[in-house]
Amino acid sequence: MLARSAQGLYWMGRYLERADHLCRLLRLQTEALVDRPIADIYAGWNRIYASLNRQPPGAGLELLPDGQSTDGAGVLQVMGVPGTAAWQQSGGDDYTLADSFTLADDLTFERSNPDSVWSCFAQGRENARQMRHCISAEMWTSLNLAYLRIQQVSIRDIWNASPESFYATVSADVDTFMGVAAATMYRDEGWRFMRLGRFVERSQLAASLFLAQLELFPTDADASPLDGSESDWIILLRLYHAMAAYNRAYSVAVAPNQVLDLLVTDPLLPDSLCSSVDAAAAELSAIVPGPDRESDDAARRLAGRLSALVHYEWPDAKDHAELLHRVNGYCRQLHNLVTATYFDYHSANLPA
Amino acid sequence: MSDRFQNYSLDSAIYDEMFLPDGQPRDGWQRLQRELTDFSDEELANIQERVTRSFSNEGITFTVYGDDEAEERIIPIDCIPRLLSAAEWDTLAAGLEQRLRALNLFLQDVYGEARLIADGVIPPEVVYECPHYRPEMRGFTPPQGTWVAVCGTDVVRTNDGFRVLEDNLRVPSGVSYMIANRKAAKTSLRRLYRDSRVQEVEHYGRLLREALVELAPSGGANPRIALLTPGVYNSAFYEHMFLAREIDAELVEGRDLLVRDGFVYMRTTGGLERIDVIYRRVDDDFLDPSVFRSDSVLGIPGLIDAYRRGNVALANAPGTGVADDKSVYAYVPDMVRYYLNADPLLQNVETYLCRRPDELEYTLDNLDKLVVKRVGESGGYGMLVGPHASADERAEYAEQVRANPNDFISQPTLALSRSPCLIDGRFEPRHVDLRPFILHGRETRIVPGAFCRVALRRGSLVVNSSQGGGGKDVWVLED
Repeated sequence: MLARSAQGLYWMGRYLERADHLCRLLRLQTEALVDRPIADIYAGWNRIYASLNRQPPGAGLELLPDGQSTDGAGVLQVMGVPGTAAWQQSGGDDYTLADSFTLADDLTFERSNPDSVWSCFAQGRENARQMRHCISAEMWTSLNLAYLRIQQVSIRDIWNASPESFYATVSADVDTFMGVAAATMYRDEGWRFMRLGRFVERSQLAASLFLAQLELFPTDADASPLDGSESDWIILLRLYHAMAAYNRAYSVAVAPNQVLDLLVTDPLLPDSLCSSVDAAAAELSAIVPGPDRESDDAARRLAGRLSALVHYEWPDAKDHAELLHRVNGYCRQLHNLVTATYFDYHSANLPA
Repeated sequence: MSDRFQNYSLDSAIYDEMFLPDGQPRDGWQRLQRELTDFSDEELANIQERVTRSFSNEGITFTVYGDDEAEERIIPIDCIPRLLSAAEWDTLAAGLEQRLRALNLFLQDVYGEARLIADGVIPPEVVYECPHYRPEMRGFTPPQGTWVAVCGTDVVRTNDGFRVLEDNLRVPSGVSYMIANRKAAKTSLRRLYRDSRVQEVEHYGRLLREALVELAPSGGANPRIALLTPGVYNSAFYEHMFLAREIDAELVEGRDLLVRDGFVYMRTTGGLERIDVIYRRVDDDFLDPSVFRSDSVLGIPGLIDAYRRGNVALANAPGTGVADDKSVYAYVPDMVRYYLNADPLLQNVETYLCRRPDELEYTLDNLDKLVVKRVGESGGYGMLVGPHASADERAEYAEQVRANPNDFISQPTLALSRSPCLIDGRFEPRHVDLRPFILHGRETRIVPGAFCRVALRRGSLVVNSSQGGGGKDVWVLED
């Protein structure tokens, strides 16, 4: 297929996956606002920002000194109240604190944040608009309707109603789109590239999130995790729909290392890291070799190494953070190789 | 007339598509009138809502360029169809086919022997001074002798019958709206549509593909077709995407194509693949920087060479703009007589060429009655609608005309026909035109229908979508 079309579908897959991932994170985070201790909430925002490798707006996050309780000023700060100043001056210090309302807005609707839900969804939809002739009419209609819905709301609207149900709806919209795609899209290269983008993105997002988790909550015995450590790991299980699988595989007590093992290596979990890297490798192997044979070979070898890393090195690895760093780097390399092989190759020396 | 038609004004100077001057519906419109009267207010509002929503849900948009940003807009569609009888259509179609035949012969002639000029039918300067005349195409014969494969002719109706306002022979657009309007009308006026026995238009894509296949150089039955678009920022991008899908073409931009050894290739995920036919929706200027505009980054260097060698077909051929030039237009009826030895079935609008001293004088003396157009412009830009302009505007425009008379033509302000539209729950007449699409590969094909443009603002004569115009479906009824 036309190289530029393939690239558009690849990016559509990436952007929609990113939008979905962020929505799932934000859904759990906004749920936590209602009933979790403020330290959890603070940790949750930190996890999201760290996994996106993004700085929170303004001077950053700070745990309020009186924020350990779930009443009084701390709660107000955490919930964020639309209509009051989004930024609050903190006791005469020269930095300002962001409240949850502001953070959610930054991650959801901020147009200048290229990783906000809005930006990712709009980019995914723009790729679809440009490649409409390569996807089914049903796919376009489902995506465009979802886009029009998101266009109509602001952070104020969702905050006054129920932010978590907004995020659930957007996630469901992406799921619906992928379901419609599975039901209606011709299984040509466009399908392959869309899925390749999706799984490369998913692998990279998972690795980044697990890394952020390990930095915030080290699992080694000496380091004492923050308060409420169990819930910090339960949230990861919920994010990956893995609660039941975990209970079945282990016990009801949640041990950080076992959570990571499950999320990385369980082949039955649809979005475990190993499922994602295997799916990316499978899509790549289903695509006919690209014109740049050198980078094509390198891409296929790399996809194999990525699988091996997750399947065979992980169980014995001493330093999981280091391994996740490598996964992350491999994903970036794989993206570059796919781009060089299929999209941006030099045509000067190619046979006609 | 029902309540909804109570304020429907008829004007004997303006042809009404639905009503005779005495207020009775014309033949064929009775059923529509009955149904429209029977609908409750709510039903009618729902019908209009469904039509509008189908465009928004489908994302059928055009792009409007403001000062600094482009905006995706939805063209306003009126839900009341315009009807044409089979007899009306057949007459019109025969005239359109005849006209396109003459125009293709004219193009072959002006880039060849130029007999028409030698015989004094058209002055040489009208042809050779036209900015769209491409000397690079001299001596060339395109596949099947087809210069214009896709033509979108603007037709208006007055009390004197149909008149051609403009032949669009370069990259005419709007056919996707014809089809989208039809889909919307079918889903919103289901029973009326079924009962009315309307001729189909949705096979346009198949006919377009057939025409393009006939132009393929290899002569094979399954040539590789690409639709060349300026890109996603072009106002007609939706249509390009839509047609690419309909005709099973790759939707390419200039950067996706390259020429090697006189053949055109497309960059695919598997390497380079040869292209046989290019349905191009970019202007001549941006086709090939080595031939036309060297500053263009959009084009494909070597494309025209490949074309001239017969290794790729282009539809439409470069250089067709000379035949839809506003001055050349005045000579089309003469072309029909000259090449086909027949009387034109479709008439022109009376046109005064300001390059002729007496017609310049007439134009300047009658600016308040005329529409004056700039020869090189399209899309309703750069023109003066005399009766609607202020004295200052007319004086200012007259200066421009006097300075460069060759750049202007004038025509009487036409009483464009009007057709009923749903405006705030009532029916009101609005001016309309008609753009049917004529295809020509080896033979001519026309789908019985058109994109009907509507000047939705009361009293306005400007139907261009960039300037407040909308659209409606056209139903050509079975006999």
